[in-house]
Formats: sequence, structure tokens, C-alpha cells
Amino acid sequence: MTGQEPPHESRGDNGPNPPDTGVGMTAVSYLIAGMVVWGGIGWLVDHFVGTRGIFAGFGAVLGVAGGVYLIVRRLGA
Amino acid sequence: MVIGQSTVLAAEFPPSVEDFYLPSILPWGAENNYWFTKVTLLVWVAVALIIVFFLVSYRKPQLVPTKKQWMAESAYGFVRNNIAVEMIGPAGVRFAPYLTTLFLFILVNNFFGIVPLVQISPMSHIAFPAILAVISYVMFIYVGMRHHGPLKYFKHALIPPAPWFILPLLVPIELFSNFIVRPFSLAVRLFANMFAGHMLLLVFTLGGFAMINANALLAPISLLSWVLTIALTMLEFLVICLQAYVFTVLTASYVQGSLADEH
Repeated sequence: MTGQEPPHESRGDNGPNPPDTGVGMTAVSYLIAGMVVWGGIGWLVDHFVGTRGIFAGFGAVLGVAGGVYLIVRRLGA
Repeated sequence: MVIGQSTVLAAEFPPSVEDFYLPSILPWGAENNYWFTKVTLLVWVAVALIIVFFLVSYRKPQLVPTKKQWMAESAYGFVRNNIAVEMIGPAGVRFAPYLTTLFLFILVNNFFGIVPLVQISPMSHIAFPAILAVISYVMFIYVGMRHHGPLKYFKHALIPPAPWFILPLLVPIELFSNFIVRPFSLAVRLFANMFAGHMLLLVFTLGGFAMINANALLAPISLLSWVLTIALTMLEFLVICLQAYVFTVLTASYVQGSLADEH
């Protein structure tokens, strides 16, 4: 760590954002969140309607679709 | 072999969660009293160590740094350049003091997990990572609200650029992923790593005693188990540094997300 130099960019809020900041974590968290949220809502619907899991299944698929869409919109080019 | 495991470590073989609840120090040896235990003591020692180290090494700053000053500057410089500025950009410099404090506090507390005779990390109790996660959580939301204004910040964080009819599907996912999963995963990741590390070392150490007590012929395997304990301690050192780094980097990443402009 002998070569610790001060950052080259000038300080201030105007600089460009760094290209890659925790994108992988965000992507994984969108996928899981999508499945958990809509799967969970589907599970609740199942619970109240009295079906045995059809809504939870559809919800999870829908959630993953939403997660993928979010990744494309938020993180894609 | 007269050395029983109980005389050496006062712990039974399959290690359990009970092994993380150490006896009370103040009042000494009280049962089921967790107000001041070894863990509490270790946290205060960590705080004192960091404060004293930085005060002493910066008491007389020199242009050509002394060894202590160089160490302090390296620690700060590492977090500022390689975490704060790297993740957040030029605006990250003003978060460097907090991130450095966070990094060093977690690092020192984690490190207690492998210091001989100390060998438990306060971070293996979820309370400590949870509070740190809450601080980071409140901070990145506050920073975002100050940068964009509350309404605009939540609009930016919750409503992705998408046609209106798909929004009802996406907003719950955003809410869950940005405001519920984040603090939870921060706390659990650190806690679980330190908990598992301590458990692993306990299994290998106490397992050695259990085997040697069960049958003297198993002594070579006990020895192997203890040698492996040393190897695992090295591995644990890696985990300690990595987890302190990961917690800090993710905090910086969330702050960056709060400061980011819409695109």
C-alpha cells in the first residue's frame, strides 16, 4: 500500500459516475426480490382462495419476469 | 491422557449456540445476565484501540510520515481511494471518514475471532451487525433524500423507467429489493460468516478432544484435527478481511445508488 495516491479526479459532485458499482449484487437482488414478492403475494391469494399453490407458482414466474425486466431497464445499456 | 475437554475449554463437544453466550463479567459469573460479558468488553476494547491508535499516530503529523502515521494513512487512504472514490466517484471523498470508521470497526471486531485466547468475535452476535446495517440504511436513505429531495428520491428509487401498465408489477419488487433486502442482507452476511467461522473452529478444536477422549487410538486423528484448526484459522483471517471489505463496499454502493442521477 505504499503507492496510495490521492484520486486523480478533481473533487466535487460533477464528475462522471464510476462504471461498475455493485451491479452484480443488484441484479441478483432484483431476481430474488421479484420471485419472493410476487410468489408471496400469490401464496397469500392461494391461502385465501383455497387453491393449493397455482397462484404462488404463477406469481413466482411473474416476479422473475418483472425482475428480469427491471434488470434490463435499470442496469442495461 | 488426563486432559479432558471440559478442563481445557469448559465446553461440550457438539458446540451449540450456548457457546456464544459467555458468562457475565459484571456481576462476575452471574447466570443468564448478558449486560456486560466478554463480548461487550471486546467491543469497547475495539473502540478504544481504534481511537487511541488514530490519536497517537496523528498527534504530531509529519511531512515524511513515521511508521505509525504511515499505517494510519494507509488505512484511511485505502478506504478513501479504493472504496469511497472507486464506488461513489469524486463525491465519495466526504463519505470516506464514515466508511473508514465502519471498515476498521468491523475489521478489528472480526479479528478478535482469531486472536489467541480471545477467539470470539462480537460480530457473531447479530445485534452488532444489525445496528451497523441500520446506520448504513438510515444514512443512504437520508443522503438520497438530501440530494434529490424526499419525494423525488423515493420516486427515483421506487419507480423505474417503464410504461405505466407494468409499474404495479415492478414497484413492489423495487420496494422489497431496495428497502427491505438491503439492510437485512448486510447484517446477516456479516453475522453468519462470523458465526459459522467460530462454529467451525469450535468443531475442529473440541472434536479433537472428543476423539482423544473416546479412544486413545484416535490420537493421530485428533492431532490432524488440531492442525486443521490452525489452517482454518488462516482461512478465517481471509473471511475476516473480506467481510469487513464487503460490508463497506456495499454501504458505499448503496450511497452511490442514492446519489445517482436519473438516466
